[in-house]
Amino acid sequence: MTATSTTAPPDNARPDAAPTAAMRSQTLLLSARQFGTVIGLVVLCATLWILTPHFLTVSNLLNVAEQTSINATVAVGMTFVILSAGIDLSVGSIVALSGVVLGMALQAGYPPVLALPVSLAAGFACGVTNGALISWGRLPPFIVTLGTMSIARGAALLATEGRPISGFDASFRSLATGRIGFIPAPVIAMAIVYAIAHLLLTRTTFGRYVYAIGGNEEATRLSGVAVRFHKTMIYGVSGLTSAVAAVVLTARLNSAQPIAGIMYELDAIAATVIGGTSLMGGEGTLGGTLVGALIMGVLRNGLNLLGVSSFLQQIVIGGVIVVAVLLDTILKRKNNA
Amino acid sequence: MQPRKHENTKKPLFVFFVPSWLRGGVLVLVALSAGVSLSCNRDTASTTTGKPTVALVLKTLNHPFFVDMRRGAQEAADRLGVTLQVQAAEREIDVEKQMQIVENLIQTGIQALCITPSGSREIVSALVKARDAKVPIVVVDTRLDAKAAADAGVKPATFVGSDNYEGGKLAGEYMVKASNGTARVAILEGIPGHETGDSRLRGFKDAVKGTPGISIVASQPANWERDQGFTVFQNMLQAHPDIDSVFACSDLMALGAIEALAAAGKAGKVRVVGFDALDDAKKAIAAGTMAASVAQFPSEMGRVAVENAVKVIRGETPPTDVNVKLELVTKDTVK
Repeated sequence: MTATSTTAPPDNARPDAAPTAAMRSQTLLLSARQFGTVIGLVVLCATLWILTPHFLTVSNLLNVAEQTSINATVAVGMTFVILSAGIDLSVGSIVALSGVVLGMALQAGYPPVLALPVSLAAGFACGVTNGALISWGRLPPFIVTLGTMSIARGAALLATEGRPISGFDASFRSLATGRIGFIPAPVIAMAIVYAIAHLLLTRTTFGRYVYAIGGNEEATRLSGVAVRFHKTMIYGVSGLTSAVAAVVLTARLNSAQPIAGIMYELDAIAATVIGGTSLMGGEGTLGGTLVGALIMGVLRNGLNLLGVSSFLQQIVIGGVIVVAVLLDTILKRKNNA
Repeated sequence: MQPRKHENTKKPLFVFFVPSWLRGGVLVLVALSAGVSLSCNRDTASTTTGKPTVALVLKTLNHPFFVDMRRGAQEAADRLGVTLQVQAAEREIDVEKQMQIVENLIQTGIQALCITPSGSREIVSALVKARDAKVPIVVVDTRLDAKAAADAGVKPATFVGSDNYEGGKLAGEYMVKASNGTARVAILEGIPGHETGDSRLRGFKDAVKGTPGISIVASQPANWERDQGFTVFQNMLQAHPDIDSVFACSDLMALGAIEALAAAGKAGKVRVVGFDALDDAKKAIAAGTMAASVAQFPSEMGRVAVENAVKVIRGETPPTDVNVKLELVTKDTVK
């Protein structure tokens, strides 16, 4: 948000500042906004509940949660990036590359305890590389991550000669097939990622800087924040959450595929934007993103349950994305008028 | 000095609040439109019609092969009085989306599942859920990875498909005969790791292995796609201008290669052998720009798959393996 005077640094660039009136109203605004998205989700669920008896069952809702978990996890990093007024097109390819790194490590006989950190490190490194090129190389995020999208995909294909690596042992696969109580493991993984990321975004200086950089990068820099370092870390977070998604995906498919994750960037951007995060940066919440991912997941699930033709499904999902962004733009324009 | 701006103080709260409801309203409209489309579709819940529902999950619906398969399946379903639910992922390679479709269909209480796996190993995880829900499985066109299926305890009721290895051999034998035993061959492969393409490739290589005059000068994946067939083959032609024969593991890639040949002014001068005998390929064969294609009968596969699924539902035991015939289509036999 850019509710600043020209003399003072932005309110939200000072983590130690007492909440001002502007900040309080900002929180209200965001929750009101998110409230709208939640209503959208509830109405969607209610409609499906009326249309098909198969929707509102415990097993189907768990099914939706499990299917949503991968996109929702990738969307966490995407939310950090978009909040900082950036974009990350490379997440799908990072999913493939860190998945392949994981697959190769497991196949080479490393236990999951070792293979997992290696895979997460690979994803983080890809993200940090993106961030460094954007910060210190002064390149547009769109171009840098477009390049990384191709490089990471190519590296994944090269490392595997284009073939999937498959057949992992049951202990690793339990990351996807296991349940704690009745909740599937991917949903728990997603919940942990959201909890940590939420704390990071709302309770740390890093989190405040994410909003500040997105709101007004120049003002944030002038107020003494190490903008380059923090931007690099923001893309690092995106690489890291992509790698977490890769772990779940690899366990789910029992296979590390170099062609995995194609178009994931678009699903993640869609979830983030439907969830109310502004593509201009500076405003949005992780709760909104989760709801956005759930709307997409519920929509896909519901259209399957209803037996809607797969071609029509693409039109409906595309329509929801466009309408959400359209509303966002209209609201933005009104707000700035 | 400018006066302080008031963008985000009290007034915008109202501006934000009202349209946020609007967003919910739009989703209602979308959901309703989905409901409307439902009424155009056949009833999916078997309970409302009393007819059993058979699901057919295809790799994709943007390939003529699978469109034909659906047609055959639909005809059989109409004849046998069952409801057929057809779903497919947007992209042929998206096995994760295919898993989601299978999981979602299981929720609707289908009585049988016919599936063309997008990944022979990967899809097994979803089939475990079908097994747990006691939904019988008919595997069509692409076999499951035997080891992965056995490890997971997934036992399909039956497999319906053509023997891709035999098909590849048929193409290879034709290549030997038509070239009189000397050829410089370029191969366009499918997506690496796909059982279908790998078997065709193995069959072809085994058939030409014994002929020393035939050398394979280049072999690269073009991922089943026409545009990739075009570019990959164009590049091969740059590197090896003396290529005189092509074997493509699918017709779409072969047709891409034929376009590349036309662009290079070599239309009809290179022996192109494809696989699938699509309508476009048959036209190319009749026109002389393509030499041959191995015909599969996808609508036959769809028909037999649904028939066998219905047999399982009725408590009968279908044959465990149905081999759908293959035929080599050349200029002499093209219709």
